[in-house]
Amino acid sequence: MIPKALAVSLTGICGPDGVIADRDRLLVYESDALTAYRHRPGAVVLPRTTDEVRRAVQAITRHGLPIVPRGAGTGLSGGAVPLGGAVVIGTARMNRILSIDAANRRAVLQPGVINAELSAAAAAHGLYYAPDPSSQTACTIGGNVAENSGGPHCLKYGVTSRYVTGLTVVLADGSVVRLGGQGREAPGYDLVGLFVGSEGCFGIATEIEVGLLPVPEGVRTLLGIFDRIEDAGRAVSDIVSAGLLPAAMEIIDGPTIRAVEDSVFAAGYPTDAEAALVIEFDGLEAGLDAEAARAAEFCRCAGAREVRSAKDEEERLALWKGRKKAFGAMGRIAPDLLVQDATVPRTTLPAILKGISEIGKRYGLVVANVFHAGDGNLHPNILFDRRDEDELERVERASKEIMQICVDSGGTITGEHGVGLDKKHHMPLIYGEAELDTMWGIRRVFDPGEVLNPGKVLPEETDPAARASRDDGAVGEKPAAAPAPAHA
Amino acid sequence: MSEAAPAAALVPDRVVLPESAEEVQAVVLEAGEAGTRLLPAGRGTWLGAGGWGVDPGTRSEPGGGGEAGGRSESGGGTDNPRIVSTERLDAVHHYEPADLTLTAGAGIGLDHLARVLEPNGQWLPFDGPACDTGTLGAAVASGVSGPLSARYGATRDNVLGLEVVTGDGRILRIGGRVVKNVAGYDLVRLFTGSRGSLGVITRVSVRLFPRPDADVTLLFGGDAAGAVAAARRVCTHEVPVAAVEVIEGDEGGVGRAAAVAVRLLGGVDEVDESRARIVAAAGADPSAALEGGESRAFHERRIGWEAGAGVVARLAALPDRLAETLACARAVAAQTGGATSADAMQGVVRVKGSCGEGDLAALAEGLLRGRREMAAAGGTLTLSQAPAEVAARVGWTGGGGEEGGLTSRIKSLFDPDSTLAPSCP
Amino acid sequence: MSAATDTLTLALKEQEEGLLNCVHCGFCLPACPTYRRLGDEADSPRGRLHLMRAVVEDRLSADSDAFQRHISRCLGCRACEPVCPSGVAYGQLLELARQVGGEARRPPLLNRLLLRVFGTGWIARPAMFAARMLRATGIPALSARLLSGDSTPKGARLGVAMLAASGSAGALPEAADPAHPASDPAAGSDRSSGNGTPPADSTPPAAPTAALAASPPPTTVGLLTGCVQAGLFSRVNEATARVLEANGYEVVPVPGQGCCGALHAHAGDLEAARAMARRNVEAFETAGVDLLAMNASGCGAAMAEYGTLLAHDDRMAERAAALAARVRDVSELLAARGPLPGAEVPMQVTWDAPCHLLHAQGVASPPTTVLNAVPGLEVLPLAGAQECCGGAGIYGLTHPRLGGWIGADKVRSVLDSGAAALVTGNPGCMMQIGAGLRLRGSSVPVLHLVEILDESYRRAGRYRPEVP
Ligand SMILES: Cc1cc2nc3c(=O)[nH]c(=O)nc-3n(C[C@H](O)[C@H](O)[C@H](O)COP(=O)(O)OP(=O)(O)OC[C@H]3O[C@@H](n4cnc5c(N)ncnc54)[C@H](O)[C@@H]3O)c2cc1C
Ligand code: SF4
Ligand code: SF4
Repeated sequence: MIPKALAVSLTGICGPDGVIADRDRLLVYESDALTAYRHRPGAVVLPRTTDEVRRAVQAITRHGLPIVPRGAGTGLSGGAVPLGGAVVIGTARMNRILSIDAANRRAVLQPGVINAELSAAAAAHGLYYAPDPSSQTACTIGGNVAENSGGPHCLKYGVTSRYVTGLTVVLADGSVVRLGGQGREAPGYDLVGLFVGSEGCFGIATEIEVGLLPVPEGVRTLLGIFDRIEDAGRAVSDIVSAGLLPAAMEIIDGPTIRAVEDSVFAAGYPTDAEAALVIEFDGLEAGLDAEAARAAEFCRCAGAREVRSAKDEEERLALWKGRKKAFGAMGRIAPDLLVQDATVPRTTLPAILKGISEIGKRYGLVVANVFHAGDGNLHPNILFDRRDEDELERVERASKEIMQICVDSGGTITGEHGVGLDKKHHMPLIYGEAELDTMWGIRRVFDPGEVLNPGKVLPEETDPAARASRDDGAVGEKPAAAPAPAHA
Repeated sequence: MSEAAPAAALVPDRVVLPESAEEVQAVVLEAGEAGTRLLPAGRGTWLGAGGWGVDPGTRSEPGGGGEAGGRSESGGGTDNPRIVSTERLDAVHHYEPADLTLTAGAGIGLDHLARVLEPNGQWLPFDGPACDTGTLGAAVASGVSGPLSARYGATRDNVLGLEVVTGDGRILRIGGRVVKNVAGYDLVRLFTGSRGSLGVITRVSVRLFPRPDADVTLLFGGDAAGAVAAARRVCTHEVPVAAVEVIEGDEGGVGRAAAVAVRLLGGVDEVDESRARIVAAAGADPSAALEGGESRAFHERRIGWEAGAGVVARLAALPDRLAETLACARAVAAQTGGATSADAMQGVVRVKGSCGEGDLAALAEGLLRGRREMAAAGGTLTLSQAPAEVAARVGWTGGGGEEGGLTSRIKSLFDPDSTLAPSCP
Repeated sequence: MSAATDTLTLALKEQEEGLLNCVHCGFCLPACPTYRRLGDEADSPRGRLHLMRAVVEDRLSADSDAFQRHISRCLGCRACEPVCPSGVAYGQLLELARQVGGEARRPPLLNRLLLRVFGTGWIARPAMFAARMLRATGIPALSARLLSGDSTPKGARLGVAMLAASGSAGALPEAADPAHPASDPAAGSDRSSGNGTPPADSTPPAAPTAALAASPPPTTVGLLTGCVQAGLFSRVNEATARVLEANGYEVVPVPGQGCCGALHAHAGDLEAARAMARRNVEAFETAGVDLLAMNASGCGAAMAEYGTLLAHDDRMAERAAALAARVRDVSELLAARGPLPGAEVPMQVTWDAPCHLLHAQGVASPPTTVLNAVPGLEVLPLAGAQECCGGAGIYGLTHPRLGGWIGADKVRSVLDSGAAALVTGNPGCMMQIGAGLRLRGSSVPVLHLVEILDESYRRAGRYRPEVP
């Protein structure tokens, strides 16, 4: 709970209905979409403007409390989970599109604008916003910026950071800075690029300028059905090696297929298949059929039992629906879900997929895979029930092994969901002390007092300041207490 | 943001050619201790992009690698910076064509790299200034993108990972070699375009692309105003194109005051179709159409467009202000007897010229006026090559924005003693 | 926690698996009208489910302000259901939560009174309904105006009368309408009893129906006349019967039927809702109809869920489920038969999808099919057509401010659509939007879907020609 005086000043800034300080009501802010972590915030404020954010930040820091920005809370790494009684600054009311500049194919918006709604608004100008996380109907652009989100079509079009051209940011000291803007030619360091993906630790983005693309004229969607997931992985690799550049290539594995088909979003995938590969080409109508035909041939050569193509927009949407709603549909098979997000070099996909299923078998766990195959970005979802303690333990071990084989293949621990709370202890798998020290340093460039989203991204044990104080014998106070996650 | 006072035509203390990141580290540490300033470079062909007016003529031939590099002729006292060249870090460390990624030493020449990729039908579509013969590391350090970035993304969008030696001598391996990676803060983007002010880039991982089957350039000749209007029409047209340039003077090669070069890349059917539709939209047949190797060669030549120019500036604003940006660039060009070349998709206009005989003070005035005009419209004017006297008066970038001291704090995090010569980009 | 709450929490606990289905993905947030306006996750579906789960986990008391406030603020519009990838049965969980919350703390007097009103069929006429309610509760001025004087008497004349009187309908040349000389549009209503009994004299003209009836054997349907409609919307019931008959259905009277119990269930008074459900199961079974026709989507959604509501009733469970499977919205019945075309109704209308039709029953296209079958009718797009109008049963009365806000947005988009009339399929929505329009000084009428078709048929002379 926050001090009364703070509640009063926040109410003065955001209005009585813009401040939530009642303990019970705060319960709903204890998690994001990764429910393994639960930490109740000290309060929640819902500002409407940059200036309200600035004043709220100043008020909160005056009371020495940490701050956690929150968009739609669809994050899958515990990024928006408030540690240490932090005050959440939610962007739900900062949801206006400030301008769409069709002549320059860009838009300026508040951070709480929902990804899909930006594209819907831009459609009037024949434009759209390219990065399309599977959560696009719910997640905010502010959250996308913080996580540098990707999506199925990022195979061809690239991830969020390619499209963010300017930012207005409120820093931890309450100052407001403008980075980039009016296109992206500003001289100097690429601070926009540095901010994108900073997971709420560098500042609160309060205005975002993004680039838009013309809506592609034509689309072809294929569905390859495979009896072995490794074959699907090989088809992906072959298609890319052949010089084809699909807009998206997504794999949905057997357990996931069965969950989806069992849900209200049944897309008509055969339930006895072990993998479905969705391939999409877009662009000018001319040439699309030929590209699709070539990709279909690669699928057949790799062993697809069947290749379908969506006959119309309705079928196309149904194919995608199954993919985009897959995560939710898994809620039907098991109460809890641990989502992983490793990226591996595309050519190692078949071997890694095999490795993952072996690890699953060894620990007696169901691992459902649904992922951005074209980018080599895997999402092995380990299904479990947190009420079963023995299972919890196995989940933890299996998850670590999976991450390890991905890293060993030349991959990384997170491709798009971010490190957050969930993967910070795995950062040493890919970075040494020098790199982690540097990241701590960069964090302090933006936020010297570690006010913003403390306890995220970087493991405390790598914090040079904390190390130094330990060396001095000054034991005790940790910079930010990060309680052990429920599943760890 | 503090700005480096540009040096006069630079005579390096010496040029060192290390062969590994550890050797670079030794050079950096040694320079730090001795208080010698270091200037990171590739082949030194376009040191200007480092914001440091170096005369490429001072580059020396490698003199025996090994231990912290060879020495070239000593150019005087220790006040002069020492050039650390990555030229010998030119190995290809990892190239798996099916992954469309490559890791190589920063010193690999982009021409050499192109030859490595060619047999697999792949390429790295970097077409910024001097991306023809410069090194990979320098292209990343300068971070300046060319007209193809509208289709393929800017340089920063295609760099996946880096190995760098920071100004205080730490070796960092940041990012990775997979195409999607959000583990930790994005230091790769920070280093891309940092112009050697934070560290020496020693190794680079990049994302590659398949070379498209068809490559066509349509050249539409016309008067200057007509060319801008036509270019804008193509830019906002529904048919996606790879690049649109407005080239003034003879260089368009169509015998008109200006030419619009529209580049189409893609599958054969796709390019045929785009071509027909772009021609229909233009309302006139192109003055010339270059296909395949001809088209490619035309653009490759344009990459080296600035080479040898005494003054080079880059003006940028939103694309729909292209006419104004061009007008501003022309004013500068007029003073230098130079030319302009515009990337219509990005709204960037490059100016090059010579300044042999001209009145340098007047040139500086003209550049400053141009910068003021650009700034008034939310744009920028940056210098990438100029006589020391001009650069001193104008400044390479014109100073930073309202970044609240972030830039200098970042600089001191990596290079606290300002060992690296360009203090900030 | 009191003993009573304890037992009820057990009921919610039984649903734990249902709650656990929620993977916290947040896909439902943007669909929720209360979250969109308030921005507080506690007023979102995910937030409300989280609060329910906290009660089940004993981390939150059902008596707490947080639980009470946010559960009661839910519109029950169920816009969160179709977007949920996990198939969380939000509507059912909400009813349970309301029951738990209601036991933990007596719901406000207003709610209880309103529910009594609906349950006992106290009122046959809307004016009485509004007047009594106002007297009993002294609800704020806004809602007072909403239901009092200027809206209700006019509201009773809404629809066909307004259709005939409206500018666009007037554009229809008289000559094109030989079978329907200018007559009092209300005349038709006088001829029926108003309880769902098909008017004896509304048998469709021989030629078209004979052909139509020849192919499929006549399906018998029983019309739920409902509590609200019976009084307020008898003309809608009459029109429903006429258009169904015209399309070859045989409308059979169902004596003994009563209120569907939807409002009670939504409010968490599940016991009362069950009693009503049992009564209706008996009544419709006795009538022996093939299908149940619904012209109030709120009631339709409730009856379609009788199986779940009575799942624990050994005697009734199976019968209820069987009956529920035969529930159809009138638009579905009509769309299944074409519907039969009528005469031109040259006007521009817009369609607002009732939540309990679109979200709760997943009926999306049949209403459009019906409207598109009316010659001359142009259906303009309505921004936010899939969003709740704020009526939500008694919501506009219990949460005047938020309900008013949501309602005002709907009214604005209706006016922005440029349509000459709004068409929808639920009496609650008709009242809410109609009153909202009038408060804004607009004369745009609100019509039930069947009224448009009815008018088209009348103009086409499908009903017995009227003797001048
Ligand atoms: C079913 C499902 C599918 C998903 N699919 C994808 C996918 O395909 N690709 C993908 O990349 N992700 C995916 N995600 C993850 C998630 O949707 C993204 O990370 C998204 O960008 C989070 O946005 P949000 O608005 O929900 O942010 P939140 O979860 O609220 O916050 C995420 C982080 O951003 C910070 N933050 C939020 N707003 C701001 C701001 N204005 N300024 C600074 N920091 C801020 C928070 O502090 C937090 O650290 C998926 C999630 C789900 C549940
Ligand atoms: S959409 Fe469904 S699973 Fe997702 S948060 Fe909402 S109720 Fe839960
Ligand atoms: S029923 Fe309607 S108001 Fe209630 S949570 Fe669902 S969407 Fe929101």
